[in-house]
Amino acid sequence: MSLIEMQNVTFAYDRQPVLKALSLSVEANSFWAVVGPNGSGKSTFLNLLCGQLKPDAGNVHVDGRAASSFSSQQLAGILSMVRQEFVPVFGFSVRQTVMMARYYRKPSALFENTEDIEAVDAALMATDTLEFADRPLGRLSGGERQRVFIARALAQETPVLLLDEPTSHLDLKHQIRIFDLLKQMQCEQGKTILLVTHDLNLAAQYCDKVLLLGPEGDFFQGPPEGVLDSGQIQSIFGVRGYQGQIQKRKFFVPLGQFSKDLPESST
Amino acid sequence: MMLTSKNLIFRISLAGLLLIIVMAGCLLIGSQDISLQKALQGPTIEGIPNSDYQILVSVRLPRVILAAIVGAALACSGVVFQAILRNPLADPYILGVSSGAGLGSIIAVMLGWTWTVWGLSALMVASFIGAMGTVWLVWSIGKVTGRVHVTGLLLAGVVVNALFSAVIMFLSSIAEAKKFQTTMLWLMGSFVELDKLSPLIASGIIVLLGIVFLLMLGNQLNILSFGRQDARSLGIPIERTCFLAFGCAALITSIAVSFSGLVGFVGLIVPHAVRLVAGPDHRQLIPLSALIGAAFLVIADAVARVVVAPAMLPVGVVTAMTGGPFFLILLIRYTKTIHWGRP
Repeated sequence: MSLIEMQNVTFAYDRQPVLKALSLSVEANSFWAVVGPNGSGKSTFLNLLCGQLKPDAGNVHVDGRAASSFSSQQLAGILSMVRQEFVPVFGFSVRQTVMMARYYRKPSALFENTEDIEAVDAALMATDTLEFADRPLGRLSGGERQRVFIARALAQETPVLLLDEPTSHLDLKHQIRIFDLLKQMQCEQGKTILLVTHDLNLAAQYCDKVLLLGPEGDFFQGPPEGVLDSGQIQSIFGVRGYQGQIQKRKFFVPLGQFSKDLPESST
Repeated sequence: MMLTSKNLIFRISLAGLLLIIVMAGCLLIGSQDISLQKALQGPTIEGIPNSDYQILVSVRLPRVILAAIVGAALACSGVVFQAILRNPLADPYILGVSSGAGLGSIIAVMLGWTWTVWGLSALMVASFIGAMGTVWLVWSIGKVTGRVHVTGLLLAGVVVNALFSAVIMFLSSIAEAKKFQTTMLWLMGSFVELDKLSPLIASGIIVLLGIVFLLMLGNQLNILSFGRQDARSLGIPIERTCFLAFGCAALITSIAVSFSGLVGFVGLIVPHAVRLVAGPDHRQLIPLSALIGAAFLVIADAVARVVVAPAMLPVGVVTAMTGGPFFLILLIRYTKTIHWGRP
């Protein structure tokens, strides 16, 4: 059985259907990209996986068990989550924030041990956040803060990582760094990664599988070469563009009515 | 720098020392001048009752201890409400929890309940029920007005507070006229007169246990202040933790209210000041706020005792006059930095 199984999952917000009969299985040690237009249910998909939302119909199984049957402490040992935007209320420092990932391992302990401190240092190092480890979250840029939350997910040391647009605020260098880091963790530590992104080209370069969610609850899944085909992208996103090839992988540049290069007229 | 047990203990001892100094100092302040030297000579000097000793031990000591218990309880529950509601402006008074507790005690008084169980008076039990009821009410109104809306909750608290204060006023107006003045004073927050230490012991122990319990929840509160979604994925059992923390905060608030009426803003000023100095980590914010809150209210009470001597000002007047402007400053500051709900 796969690590994560979804069978006929249907979900609606106030009768506004988002996901319709979605079935997929995520093998352990795979790297998935979840892509799709705004409002197509990408974040909803992640929230269903981590038990934050319950499907209206269908099943979500994680590690052979219904996702809703786990206690939050058990689930925290399997899935870690990086969410989109976060507004800090109190002035917790970067290090304090990342340290919170260690809580579930020993809920009764009031203080962290050396193992926790080492794990947090490693996560800070890997995400390039060690230099501002003692600064409060509120004094970081959006991109720096995103890296802190990725560090927190790493420090949680779970077999599965869920990330909701983790690179949306990052500069090119850090985007590549995060993708490299995730790929490295997939290869070296056998992690399973599901990542929501709008960057189809990076998804094609790094991911093994793509889940493309359409606006009407339709979905496509498979290797990026098949799913991220220009015809498919144009019909789902409602945008035209140019598809080319670098070496083996395709890339897609969206083009509009007034862009300097015009979209290919064929499709 | 992460918190270690060593520096936590050091900081708690430091704040404890400060509290002891403040309490000792305020024992000597009052409408009547007493001499410490004379007071320390015992209950009688050569057969004559020592009035300085009487004042120190039977009047001021219980009162200073009472102020410390109330201050610690209110500051601590302020911290808890702020963490769970993710709102630095929350406080048991602003959220209406204090007036809920007050309503409970007034009803107990009017019904003539006088029983006690394990050192807890009917007043305290009724006030606890009132406090818990209000927490539940404000929480569910806040939930209806929006899942994460900070403003919804604050407004719910303000309205509940106004409503309950009005009901308290109504109940005290239909009560006997001579009781009116007392309830008015009580509403403004003033300490009941105590001539013995014994009723303080049970409550003092409960408040202390409550604070220790909340301190043990420190890590959970840290994580909860990042919001329920994050807390869940970090492994916090949200419903249980919120229930325990709210219950415990309501319990110590109701003990404070049953002794002192509605003393406002302690739960707001103190945690904020402590956070500025010592940072937001709840494992240290809770014990330090308790100790500093105790010291703050002991001082406020000393001011209330001497400012219009020989008359006495309700201590709630002192805290509200310092806390009100403080609240406004914070409100202006935070409306600039916090997203009030969703854009």
